[in-house]
Amino acid sequence: MRNLLNFLARYNNLIIFLFLEGIAFYLLSTRNNYHNSRLVNGVRGMTRGIEKRINNTKSYLSLHEINENLAAENIALKNSIAKLVRRESSLFFSVDDSLHKQQYLHSSAEVIENSINRQKNFFTINKGESQGLKVDMAVISANSVAGVIVGCSKNYSVAMSLLNLDFKLSARIKSNGYFGSLSWDGRDYRYAILSEIPQHVLVNVGDTIETTGYSAIFPEGEFVGTVSDYEKFGGDFYKITILLATDFKKLHFVDVIGNMKKTEQLQLEKLFK
Amino acid sequence: MINSILRFGLIFILLLLLQVLLFNNIQFSGYVNPYVYIMFILLLPIEIPSWLLLLLSFATGLIVDFFSGSPGMHTSATVLTGFVRPYVLRIVAPRDGYESGSDPSMMIYGFRWFFAYTLFIVLVHHTTLFYLEVFRLADFFRTMLRVLLSTLFSMTFILLIEFYRRGK
Repeated sequence: MRNLLNFLARYNNLIIFLFLEGIAFYLLSTRNNYHNSRLVNGVRGMTRGIEKRINNTKSYLSLHEINENLAAENIALKNSIAKLVRRESSLFFSVDDSLHKQQYLHSSAEVIENSINRQKNFFTINKGESQGLKVDMAVISANSVAGVIVGCSKNYSVAMSLLNLDFKLSARIKSNGYFGSLSWDGRDYRYAILSEIPQHVLVNVGDTIETTGYSAIFPEGEFVGTVSDYEKFGGDFYKITILLATDFKKLHFVDVIGNMKKTEQLQLEKLFK
Repeated sequence: MINSILRFGLIFILLLLLQVLLFNNIQFSGYVNPYVYIMFILLLPIEIPSWLLLLLSFATGLIVDFFSGSPGMHTSATVLTGFVRPYVLRIVAPRDGYESGSDPSMMIYGFRWFFAYTLFIVLVHHTTLFYLEVFRLADFFRTMLRVLLSTLFSMTFILLIEFYRRGK
């Protein structure tokens, strides 16, 4: 007991320090969306790496069995092709369902809080779950991309701005259709970087950049900005600087766009990933 | 005793107002964010008990976090700063030690001492803060540049305020 008391007296500063620092880290990791998701992803990434290795080994050991199964399946498929070739004309039929043709829902909102001077910028809009908004809906300002909703309360939503190091957008050059990945480099709020465009593509200053719609968040063909500068970067790709069409410093009225068929698309895509 | 509580309370409020109303709104190319409020931790008496120093640092960080909407970020940095302050004081100690009951001010220990002392503390605080804000090592050197530039600006403002205090 005395030893314990001595110990406490000797290290009381360290203990207080660790205690207070513990509280601070607890706040940091639970009350901040960004830090929380980084931690969760980090842990998940570690366990996923180990699981992957175990899986690899397992699948290597069972290759023989898989080969046999594949051979058997091949024969079965060949047989069924032979049967189907005869009835080929009756294989496809079309469905015309006018009820489910609408894909995107639009709703307008006002920006009530905004920042552009951080590395991870977010803005708040004055509509939330009660008005039908959900996480992962697209936010668009005067027909150009502004951000994605990352959190909703009853009457407010927080959106990750395009000016956020974690924001990634699939975008393409309108004139020739080549697509790449658009992100912000944390420097100037008026410019973003489009990467992964191969160097054989013809790029001109002033070319229009628009969304591709691949992500199921933004509809196809939404305006992003125009090419303001491009340079050869690394081996095969351009680094294209985009002048953003949205002026984030005076962001005020925005449109929120929800994709009604998003879950359907994602579920389907998940099967093949 | 009551006198000094009042004095530090006033300093605390003034620095917080400066930070929240003025320095939080400075935008300078995304690289420079001066944080002047840690001057409060700098100015506390040399012989303050460590536990009180830690608690005050914690409170400072918590309040700044409250105003800048980043729970825990400033708090982590200020608590660490409060923890290392006694060690920094030991490192930069003048040859004949500290006078008992004195404040760590430029008036008593001179510009060079105050400069070294401030530099250590501000560096510790800014390094913790900026790396916690980014929370990944991918942009290591860019974050370091932000730390150094912001340190430069914070130091400038802190030294200016200290000069002004001396002038009074």
